[in-house]
Amino acid sequence: MTAIQLYLCLGVSLWVLGSLGLLLAKNFIRRIININISGNGVFMVMVALASREETIDPVLQALVVTGLVVAVCATAFALRLSVAYAQSKQVSER
Amino acid sequence: MTDWLFDGVLVSLLLALAIASIFTKHLFNSIMLYIAFGLLLAITWARLGAVDLALAEAAIGAGITGVLLLSAYAQSNSDNDQLQKRQMPWLAFAFLILILIWLIQAVWSLAGHSTTLIDLSQQALPESGVSHPTTAVLLNFRAWDTLLELGVLLLAFLGARQLAIQPYKLPTSWPLLTVWSQILAPIIVVVGGYILWRGTSAPGGAFQAGALLAAGAILLRLTQIIPPLSWHSLWLRGLVLMGVSLFILVAAATAFWGDAWLQYPLAFNGLLIFSIEIAATLSIAATLTWLVVGERRTLHP
Amino acid sequence: MNFALLSMTLPLMTALVLLFIHRRAGSVVIIASLMSLAAALAALYQVHLFGVQQMHLGGWQAPLGIRFQLTPVNSLLLVFTALVHSLVALYANYSRHSITNTTDFWPLALLLHSSLAALWLSADLFNWYVTLELLGLAAVAMVALSGPKAYRPALHYLLLSLAASLSYLLGVALIYGRYGFLDIALLADVTQADATTQAALILMTLGVMLKAAIWPLHLWLPSAHANAPTAVSALLSAVVVKGPFYILWLLWTEVAPVELAQTTGFFLAIAGIAALIWGGWCAIRTPYLKVLVAYSTVAQLGYATLALGLLLYWQQTQLLVALWLFVIAHGLAKVSMFLVAGEMQATLGSKRVTALKGATQTMPVAMFAFSVAGGSIIGLPPSGGFVAKWTLLQLTLASPIHWPWAVGILIGTLASAIYVFRVIVISFNRADPLAPDFSPDRFSHWLAMLPALMAWLMAVVSVQLIQFLGGLP
Repeated sequence: MTAIQLYLCLGVSLWVLGSLGLLLAKNFIRRIININISGNGVFMVMVALASREETIDPVLQALVVTGLVVAVCATAFALRLSVAYAQSKQVSER
Repeated sequence: MTDWLFDGVLVSLLLALAIASIFTKHLFNSIMLYIAFGLLLAITWARLGAVDLALAEAAIGAGITGVLLLSAYAQSNSDNDQLQKRQMPWLAFAFLILILIWLIQAVWSLAGHSTTLIDLSQQALPESGVSHPTTAVLLNFRAWDTLLELGVLLLAFLGARQLAIQPYKLPTSWPLLTVWSQILAPIIVVVGGYILWRGTSAPGGAFQAGALLAAGAILLRLTQIIPPLSWHSLWLRGLVLMGVSLFILVAAATAFWGDAWLQYPLAFNGLLIFSIEIAATLSIAATLTWLVVGERRTLHP
Repeated sequence: MNFALLSMTLPLMTALVLLFIHRRAGSVVIIASLMSLAAALAALYQVHLFGVQQMHLGGWQAPLGIRFQLTPVNSLLLVFTALVHSLVALYANYSRHSITNTTDFWPLALLLHSSLAALWLSADLFNWYVTLELLGLAAVAMVALSGPKAYRPALHYLLLSLAASLSYLLGVALIYGRYGFLDIALLADVTQADATTQAALILMTLGVMLKAAIWPLHLWLPSAHANAPTAVSALLSAVVVKGPFYILWLLWTEVAPVELAQTTGFFLAIAGIAALIWGGWCAIRTPYLKVLVAYSTVAQLGYATLALGLLLYWQQTQLLVALWLFVIAHGLAKVSMFLVAGEMQATLGSKRVTALKGATQTMPVAMFAFSVAGGSIIGLPPSGGFVAKWTLLQLTLASPIHWPWAVGILIGTLASAIYVFRVIVISFNRADPLAPDFSPDRFSHWLAMLPALMAWLMAVVSVQLIQFLGGLP
């Protein structure tokens, strides 16, 4: 087992854990955190693949940067939506 | 041997933090653990040699996401008090182990494969207009991905903008914090500018710089040094839209008057890439700031 | 190629300009959509004249850069997307019941149009991931336009869509790790049926199946589509779910090795049949009109999935004609059905199917449009839906071993006939008509009729369409 294999396994474990958490959690903010954990698992796989050789793979690095920005945008939107939902629920309960 | 120890400790810590963040009872603890997880992940990536990504993860992944999570936590109080029930779903657990085994045997052999793209990107680097390979991929070889990604940013902004959310009630800020942020803000701007400029030749670039600038602007907004951000102000609209607008204009110009979609003319490629990066940085900073502390003026009844 | 690029860029630029000058100008959007349609038609004509076209973005050859391709299928899809967007823009601008005056509908619809065009043109696995995210975020933002009641379905849709994207992205990462590039044409030559490739393809398939709402991963669709504003439901059902479907098609016909494709084809075909029966059953039972139309989307996607599954299982490439004709015929009919459903719901002030009692008397044009669209959904000759179903049935009926599939198709057809006639029968119950809240909006009803008529017109040009897609020798 090499270090790269160790990190690849870490990546897929994080992805699976995050997906499981998404299925089990009820609170929306928790679900969003769990999605981010599984996303970070995917990025971990990509980073481990990028550093397989002496020179790091610039293409994979760029893909991960793109993925990170996409992930933060989606997270931001999802969180705003969950806040709006929580507030609208409060209003209707009153 | 020490390498092994280091890797082993990092991996087990990351797994422990992830599991703790998923299964902990209180939502607030879960958020804190997630932020710690993000920072540790950045260290891991730096250890693997991906310095660009370590910077990006620390700024975007842990930093901005952490701020977003905390502000969402503060704004939606009702649900958060509920504790997560502790029940061990054994069936789900068994399923997880099976999927994990299936995936691990799928990735096991990948460490031995290689790609020709490293050499190809090295060969094309002199013609790309920048000397840092990751920036060359982001803004030249695969610039179309980056353009669309700015589109994603715009869509997240537009989506969040129309939601009916009650505006923030900002507490009067603590005097020391006000002073500190007045000192910190210019430093953040300088560091952000430096990271952006450095990106052409070394790790760094538009996204990391944009996230840093956003962090500075959020701090200034929270201490009420800058006024509320409103979509009615031409400045905010210009800043949010300029990244994708400049990019698409360059793309269209190169397609209809130049050689191909996004093929920069060789004489100007460095300059074009740098101006696109500046515009993208400002757009990212403005959009992320708005997504954390922005507010709409009118609410749905 | 430049016409295709123009068709993609125009909506995006219009959206940026409208956002910057802070105007909600529906007429500008209509003009932009129509111009985009014209450009797409020009691109289609070019493909007709010169065949498949390629473009290397930024001038970088494929493994390093991203490749665009223009084939008969995606040029037709470009035209279809621009057409649907123009029709919906016309409706949204002129209907009293659309909410375009107070919301961001226009820029979001334009951005959605551009994202779809970008998805059709691309031939790169990672670029598709970004376009999928664009599509997902645009769709969710548009669902949330109907205000607080839609926040919960929108949030569910968003979270599922993000999880699906991540599953897809993990698959892309494995493919890149194994072969070292992302271009589908290059991958087509080198893929082997090993464990990594299989896992990657399954992960990507799960991701796009969830996004395309293919049974059994369709559960999010009815609530999201039924809760969205009318114009948005029409766009979502007609074009948005087709985007991931296109990726699924290219993934299995181009990238996957044949042995893997055949087994998957069998399961996809089963999923298609299950979708037909389950979607049909739910549409028959639901008390709400828009939910009925949304379940009909689940069922109709079953036909497309079945066509794709059988294409892979039997390795019969001419089935692609059936597949894409289904997609286009369903899209046009569904635009019409959702617009009518939304109009009638707003006029009658009730979401229930039973509220339509006597609708043939109070809103004859709308009911007529619904029946015309329903006819194409059922597949009555000579409609677009019939042409698609006939191309599929011809192959299934060819030899007796394939007859079980034909039985599945017939059950699906029966189910769709029942749910369409269920609505029509109620509307003919003129004994005690429910009076509309206010006078019906005739012009919008005629606008809703337009796409339904186009679905029938497809039958007129069916020979040319089939030839263009490469079906007839």
